[in-house]
Amino acid sequence: MPRILIIDDDADIVEAMRVVLEKRGYQVIIAVDGNEGLDKARAEKPDAIILDVMMPGLDGFEVARELKGDPQTKHISILMLTAIKDKTGFDFQKETSDPDWLPVDDYCNKPLDYEILLEKIDHFVRNKKR
Amino acid sequence: MKSLPRDNAIETKQVEQVFWLTRLRWVAVLGVFATIFTVSRFFQVSLEVRPLYTVAVFLAVYNGLFAWLVAVLQGRRFYKTMKLIANLQILLDLTCLAFLIHFSGGVENPFYFYFIFHIIIAGILLSRRETFILATYAVLIFLVIILAEQRGLLRHYCLPGVFKVSLHENFIYVLGVSFVFVSTMYIATYLTTSISNRLRERERSLTDANELLAEKDRIKSEYVLRVTHDLKEDLAAIHTCIEPVRKGLTGPLNDEQTNLLGRAKERSKQLIVYVDALLEITRLKLTEKLEMVEFSVAELIREIADSIAPVASQKSLTFEVRISPGIPLLKGVRVYVQEALLNILKNSLKYTLEGGQVTLQVQSDGQRLQVKVTDTGIGVPPEDLPKIFTEFYRARNAKALYKKGTGLGLSIAKKIVEMHRGEIGIESRLGKGTCVSFAIPLIS
Repeated sequence: MPRILIIDDDADIVEAMRVVLEKRGYQVIIAVDGNEGLDKARAEKPDAIILDVMMPGLDGFEVARELKGDPQTKHISILMLTAIKDKTGFDFQKETSDPDWLPVDDYCNKPLDYEILLEKIDHFVRNKKR
Repeated sequence: MKSLPRDNAIETKQVEQVFWLTRLRWVAVLGVFATIFTVSRFFQVSLEVRPLYTVAVFLAVYNGLFAWLVAVLQGRRFYKTMKLIANLQILLDLTCLAFLIHFSGGVENPFYFYFIFHIIIAGILLSRRETFILATYAVLIFLVIILAEQRGLLRHYCLPGVFKVSLHENFIYVLGVSFVFVSTMYIATYLTTSISNRLRERERSLTDANELLAEKDRIKSEYVLRVTHDLKEDLAAIHTCIEPVRKGLTGPLNDEQTNLLGRAKERSKQLIVYVDALLEITRLKLTEKLEMVEFSVAELIREIADSIAPVASQKSLTFEVRISPGIPLLKGVRVYVQEALLNILKNSLKYTLEGGQVTLQVQSDGQRLQVKVTDTGIGVPPEDLPKIFTEFYRARNAKALYKKGTGLGLSIAKKIVEMHRGEIGIESRLGKGTCVSFAIPLIS
C-alpha cells in the first residue's frame, strides 16, 4: 500500500485529508510540525509528501529545502499546500517554476479541491522516482 | 523615527516658501522697473534714473542667482541653508529698498512704507527673533539715510515737481517720520510674528493629531488582519472537512444530505471570498513600501483576458480586449495591478446582464498606462456614484440584483492604483452601463 506523509499543523485539515486518502487506498503517516515531518520522512521513506507552508517553527519552505537537499529523501515528491497569497502577495504559479527558489514538485491551493489533490498524489505515486 | 515625516514636511514647506519668495521678487523687479519708467516718463517728476535702474538690475541679478541656488540645493535636505538663504534674501531686499528710496527723494518718498511688506514676509518665513533683527536693520539703514541727508552728510536726491519746499532739511519733519517709521515697523513685526506663531502652533498640533490618527488606524488594521487571518483558517478547515463528505469521498449520500451539505459549502465559500477581500484591503493598507519591478502589461492583459473569457462566455457576454500595440513596460507590482484589473472586470461581469458586452481597453501615451473597462450593465445610480469607491459600499441596484457582495472590489482597485501614484474614476448611466478607468505612470 503506497504511503503518504502529511506534514501540517492543523489537526482538522489533516483529519479530512487522512479520511480521503485512506478511502483511496493510501496508508497515511501524520506529522504535526516541520521537525517531526523531517524525522518521519527519513525514517518511513513515504511514497509522497503533502506539506503545508505555514507552520509554527520550521515552515514548509525550510522543510522542502531540507528534504530536497538530503540524498535519502530528495527523490520523494512533495505537494505543497498554500494559502500563501494571504501573507506575501506573490504569485505562486510563477515562483514555483524556479526550482532554486522553491524545491517542490507541485502545489495545491487552500481551501483544498480534493479531486485535484487526489489526481496529483496519484500521479506522484504512479511516476515514483527511483 | 516617528518625527521624521513631520521634519520632512517642514523642510518641504521651507523649500516651497523660498521658491515663493523668489517668484514674488520677480514681480517686485517688474514693479520697480515699471514704476521708475512710469514716474520718470509720464509724471512731471525729474528722477535720476540711472542709479535707480542699477539697483533694479542688481535686484534682478541676485534673484536669478538665488533661484538657481535654490534649484540646485532643493532635494538635498539643506534645511539650515534654506533658512540662511531666506534671511540673506530679505536682508538684500531691505538694502535695495533703502537705496531705491535714497535715490528717489529719501524722506520725501512715501514708498518707505514698503518696508512693512518685507517685515510681513519675514514674519511668515522666519522666526520672531530673526524678524526683529531684520526690522532693526531696516530701521537703522532708513534712519541713517534720512538723518545723514538732513545733516548734509549724504547727497539728497530731490524730487522737483512733487514738493515745493525741501522736506529733508526739516529736522522736526524728519524726526516725526522717524518716530512713525520705527513704531510702525516694530508693531508690524510684533503683530505678524504673533499671528504666524499662532498659525504654526496650530499646524503643529494638527500634524500631531494626524499622526496619532494614522497610528491608531494602523493598529486597528493590524488587529483586523490578525482576526481575519484566524477566521480564514477556521473557514478553510470547515470547508476542507465538509467537502470530502459532500463529494461522496467518505461513502455514498442520499439527495437530502447532498443538498444540505451543498448549502453549507456554498455559505462557507462565500465567507471565504469575503474574508479574502478583507484580508486583501487590510494588507494593502498596511503596506508601506512597494517592491516595484518592470513588467510587460501586454502579457498581463493576455493572461487576464484568458482567465476572464470563459467566465464571460458562460454568461453569454461579449468580452472584447483592445490593446494598443507597443505599450512600454510598467514599473509596479504585477500581482497588485492584476488584482486591481480583475476586481474591476469581475464587477463588470457580475453586473452586466446576459447578452451584454464588456470591453477592456488598454493604451499608453508614453508617460502613463491608461486602462478602461466599459460594460453595458445595470449602471450605478447617480446618488451612489460618489460613494462607490468607499469600503463596503454597494449601490442599491447592485444589492437588489445580488444580495451577496463584499463592497470591497473597487476600494481595493482604488487603493492599488493610488499606491502606484495613479488615478481612478468612474462614469455611469443607470440602466445603460458603466465605465471604470484608471491611469498610472509607467515609472511610478
